[in-house]
Amino acid sequence: MKHPEHPAVSFKQVTVQIRKHTILEDISIDLASGEITGIPGPNGAGKTNFLSAIIGLRTLSHGTITVLGENVPPCSAALRQRVGIVFQETSLYDELTTVENLRFAASLYSIPEPAKRVDAVLSLLDLSARASQRVNTLSGGFRRRVAIARALLHSPDLLIIDEPTLGVDVEARHAIWAHLQLLKSTGTTIVVSTNYLDECLALCNSVAVLRAGKLVVSSTPEALVARAGSCLDIECSLESVKDLRRLLEGTEGILRIESTDAGLSIFLSGLISADQIVRTALQSATIQGFRTRGADLAEVFNALDALPK
Amino acid sequence: MKTATVTSIAGGFRAELIQLSRSRLFLFLVTLQAIAFLLLVSLFGLTGSRAPIAVVSNDAGNYAKEFISTLASTHHSFRIEPMSSEAAACSIKSGNIVAVITIPSDFSQSVLYFKPATIRVDVDNIDTDMTEDVQRALPSAIVSFGRKIGTPDIRLRVNETDLIGHDTDFIPYLVVSGLVLDAFVIAAILSAMTVAREFERRTVMLLITSPVHPMMPLIGRIAATNLVASAAMVVPALVVVYGYHIHPLHPIASVFSLFVCTCIFSCIGVALGAWIKRTVPVAALVMGLSLPIYVCSGSLEPARFDGYKIWFSAHLTPVYYAVGIVQDSFHGLHVTPESVATDAFALVGWAAASLAVAAIVVRRQFR
Repeated sequence: MKHPEHPAVSFKQVTVQIRKHTILEDISIDLASGEITGIPGPNGAGKTNFLSAIIGLRTLSHGTITVLGENVPPCSAALRQRVGIVFQETSLYDELTTVENLRFAASLYSIPEPAKRVDAVLSLLDLSARASQRVNTLSGGFRRRVAIARALLHSPDLLIIDEPTLGVDVEARHAIWAHLQLLKSTGTTIVVSTNYLDECLALCNSVAVLRAGKLVVSSTPEALVARAGSCLDIECSLESVKDLRRLLEGTEGILRIESTDAGLSIFLSGLISADQIVRTALQSATIQGFRTRGADLAEVFNALDALPK
Repeated sequence: MKTATVTSIAGGFRAELIQLSRSRLFLFLVTLQAIAFLLLVSLFGLTGSRAPIAVVSNDAGNYAKEFISTLASTHHSFRIEPMSSEAAACSIKSGNIVAVITIPSDFSQSVLYFKPATIRVDVDNIDTDMTEDVQRALPSAIVSFGRKIGTPDIRLRVNETDLIGHDTDFIPYLVVSGLVLDAFVIAAILSAMTVAREFERRTVMLLITSPVHPMMPLIGRIAATNLVASAAMVVPALVVVYGYHIHPLHPIASVFSLFVCTCIFSCIGVALGAWIKRTVPVAALVMGLSLPIYVCSGSLEPARFDGYKIWFSAHLTPVYYAVGIVQDSFHGLHVTPESVATDAFALVGWAAASLAVAAIVVRRQFR
């Protein structure tokens, strides 16, 4: 039973400590029902701990977590029946085939007519051709898809995926994204942790950025990228770098200037265009080339670092 | 919920059987290891029986020849090798022989005229066990020799009364105890690996986050492992019956005790696997535990002959009681002061206790 009017997951001032080490600190956030929420962040940001807390695997030192209307921990059997989880390390039985892995999982969730349901998820994730292949012979992309298929066996209301495309090639990545979007269209709430900003942009309705176990910002992926601004990379000599820094620093519309191996990366808000910057730069320095692009995740994090803590 | 529990146990059982059927090389090697242990314990019996002893005879007389032949047949721990004194001196120096027995040139004459004869013995006393064997061999050979030639001066008479109506050779004794060691190796390794693998490969996460208690699918998996371990135990048992020609006097009791052992060692393996959580270290631990437990549990000889400390500590392992039952069921030997019924009762108690310990250890890991 889905309740779109209530958040699927709600954290209220949640703090988790393990042996005096704070792994999640004072997190308050609501994750909307029927949407995909991304938890982007570098390694060690607390993404996996955040997801583990949702499924009741972390003891709370303070605060409350509500998942599908139920307080966790503990995560009751009834709640577990409504939640699907894809682990970072897939947790598949290597010696078993795809279909055998799914049948075993079906036995844990007491799925009626398991053979029928297994066939359905195999076909949903384009895995029918790999059904009788042993998991240890599958590529990383297919293993992830099998793990997702397993998490979908019991038609969960909430799907939690830790790094859905970790170690997966570009083609498989896009295929996984397509499957997740298809799931979202059926009303399933999805929470994904990811290292990739493009994944957030392609999939997520909202993002919650964690840094060292703290919630830094919660917004839409587009707003997150806009914080970092569009980026103008300028190739120039070391001497020109100094001149251009002096010239451009303080210019309205420039959010940040970073030195790179090839020259400079200039982050722009919407108030000034890349053309204007290049024209200004050409008047006072020699530049070998330039290009514009969106900010990557590291640059977004650098931009967030500039926020008051 | 009852149906969910049964379904998950059955699911775990089925999945483990499939998984083990795909690990045929592993199963083959574990079973091979069990047979290797039987050979190993046979070697305990064989080593020492082929210790080479040089005999240097400086007397070509008939009594000297008779004495050498008596020496060879009296003590079964030796292989008598006639040599020249130079070759013997060289061999004992290079460590190729245990001892040199030198028959003096006047041996036959001395025997004929009832005079004392001095037999020189040089022993490589690197191993006191061997030295004592040589010391025991000579008097018994002399006594036998005296009997053969009817020398009245040798008046030693041994009146032996056997406690048991039949003799059991050392190797059959060791091999039957070896079956208990095999049960330990096969059952403990298979179950320990099954549980440790769940943690090592993180598949345990699936069990922890599923609606049923993680113990349920694990019970199914262990039941399958125990079934396979019991089936694998048939191989060394057949080797004992048809390879060593040791036929059990009470087959049902033998099967019962080995099956209960398999269950106990499965539980011990489960506890170790859940505790260590890594496949390679847990396999090494099981292997490391197997021989000391075997040796100090009355497997080589009744533990009560090994002194109070060993006898007492032997009671702390199920192997002691299991060896008591299998020696009785195979050979009709009563190797423990306790009755066989007491041993059986203790073994069943061990099964219940190890099941409880395994459940507690596994539950703690899932908290």
